[in-house]
Amino acid sequence: MTTPLRRRQVLGLGLAGLGTAVVGPILWDRVQRSAARAQPAGAARLGSRGGVADLELVAQATRGSLPGGPAELLTYNGRSPGPLLEVNAGDRVRLRLRNELKQPTNLHFHGLHIPPTGTADNVFLSVPPGGSFSYEFTLAKDHPAGLFYVHPHQHGLSADQVFGGLSSALVVRGDLDRIPEVAAASETVLVLKDFASASGQEAAMGIGRMLGREGPLLTVNGELNPGLAIPSGGLLRLRLLNASNARIYRLALEGHRMVLIATDGGAIATPESLEELLLAPGERADVLVQGDQTPGTYRLLNLPYQRSGHMGMTAAEEDPRTLATFRYAGSVATLPLPTTLIPVPALPKPERTRRFVMAHAMGTGMGGMKHDMGAMGGGGMAMGGMGMGFQINGQAFDPDRIDTRVALGSTEDWLIVNDDVMDHPFHLHVNPFQVISRAGRPEAQRRWKDTVLVKAGEEVRIRVTFRDFTGRTVYHCHNLDHEDLGLMGVLQID
Amino acid sequence: MPVTSYRSASCGCCKGWVQHMRANGFAVRDVVVADVGVVKRRLGVPARLASCHTAEVAGFALEGHVPAADVKRLLQKRPQVAGLALPGMPLGSPGMESAYGKEAFTVMAFTRTGAISSFSQHAK
Repeated sequence: MTTPLRRRQVLGLGLAGLGTAVVGPILWDRVQRSAARAQPAGAARLGSRGGVADLELVAQATRGSLPGGPAELLTYNGRSPGPLLEVNAGDRVRLRLRNELKQPTNLHFHGLHIPPTGTADNVFLSVPPGGSFSYEFTLAKDHPAGLFYVHPHQHGLSADQVFGGLSSALVVRGDLDRIPEVAAASETVLVLKDFASASGQEAAMGIGRMLGREGPLLTVNGELNPGLAIPSGGLLRLRLLNASNARIYRLALEGHRMVLIATDGGAIATPESLEELLLAPGERADVLVQGDQTPGTYRLLNLPYQRSGHMGMTAAEEDPRTLATFRYAGSVATLPLPTTLIPVPALPKPERTRRFVMAHAMGTGMGGMKHDMGAMGGGGMAMGGMGMGFQINGQAFDPDRIDTRVALGSTEDWLIVNDDVMDHPFHLHVNPFQVISRAGRPEAQRRWKDTVLVKAGEEVRIRVTFRDFTGRTVYHCHNLDHEDLGLMGVLQID
Repeated sequence: MPVTSYRSASCGCCKGWVQHMRANGFAVRDVVVADVGVVKRRLGVPARLASCHTAEVAGFALEGHVPAADVKRLLQKRPQVAGLALPGMPLGSPGMESAYGKEAFTVMAFTRTGAISSFSQHAK
């Protein structure tokens, strides 16, 4: 059903000459592909067998080279992105994380509907350097099929670790994969991830932690502009994951429309044809592409997007950038697009509405900072308080404070308000939600989401039912620098 | 020396820079505008040097959290530039003090024709 991934790691990129001077334009387009290979790495994909997935991820720093010089990247099993993990709904999953980093780390199973406690999606636990932890949970038999995302969620270090290279795509097989047209499509998982240049000079050009760090090296599955195939006459199923720290992708495929069949949490009801697709950090999308054009090469483009429009900036990158190049290959019997997928039921009427206002501001209390001072290397505040950071409803993240208590089985509307000068992708753990309206306009089609882009100045209403699992979890901005700078709240489900 | 500073109402850090400038002897007029982009374009701030607020002093543009010491040096030396910019909002720059940490940053000078050069470097 799937085509093997072609993975060549980002580690082998060997072009010197990304400008070393801070001054002058960053040479976005002077990075080039290299066939050089990185040091030996583990398997490119790890899967389950007979209903059990026994997996291991080793978080480590790996020497490699980036355009401009040598670099230390963070990898799982020597890879960035880490191995593609593939399991089935109903599987027992045992995933051993070994931490060979010099700092604590942990795992978040982004998008999975599993407990937020114990050995499951517990982001409050921490694996010390040299330590290991076995995550264990069982996926429900009816867990939606979809593309999910495994990445560190160590507060204060999440952005460093994800931006440094730690991420793995996680495919759950199930209902959507059994739809005949989808099953017949040729499948490719694309992990979209930008890396800092070896010099890291882009931070000096303003793309620092407050905006959320972006890098000029745009990779797909760890490669710059990889060559990929469109089956001539057939269907290509592109499974897209934005594993970047802060970059928002605005994707278009030359000469082709993309037919959306699934969002974060699984299938939508009716395929939806798109000219372009906006994908914020943490978001996923499955699209079908029909190989019905003149055989040739077509570029997957990242179009300019301005994520800090209220700062009066224009897009940092003003021209489209090539992410990957598709070539027509082979020839298969013409495959039709599916007409219906899987119903997305309406959620019950909400029992209450809450409001969450996101912004950056000068804080006054210490909030969660007492836990972070060590990791952040101290740094006292002359003014007493915690200073500049991000807040939800006027409060920065504190792991010891419960911000929101909800009842198991209840349904709520959450009005997510972005009262800031930059975009914030809002992510909720454990339970998928549906977007009800955006800036007061109802959404056209129900979709399962766990991350929704709330643009600067915008309000988005989401609806969520808290099903199956009690415990403590979080909601936060998935611009991970913002999360580390306080834009996170604690949710207790009782 | 009078400074006029333009910011959007929702920006949470621009006031901190205004206070920093006042504490360093500048008389600052704090103006809230609907679209800071209009001011940036009028003053010729290159898009990729943009920050949140924009200010004017003695015919020079000041973009973002430029330290008062750099502004004083600008006014003493009067180089042939349109202004200074500190792109983005680096943690630890004036108005951006934070217990979450500090970032190194470089203040840029820019000309009317868009030429950009380093004006001062600030370590972490």
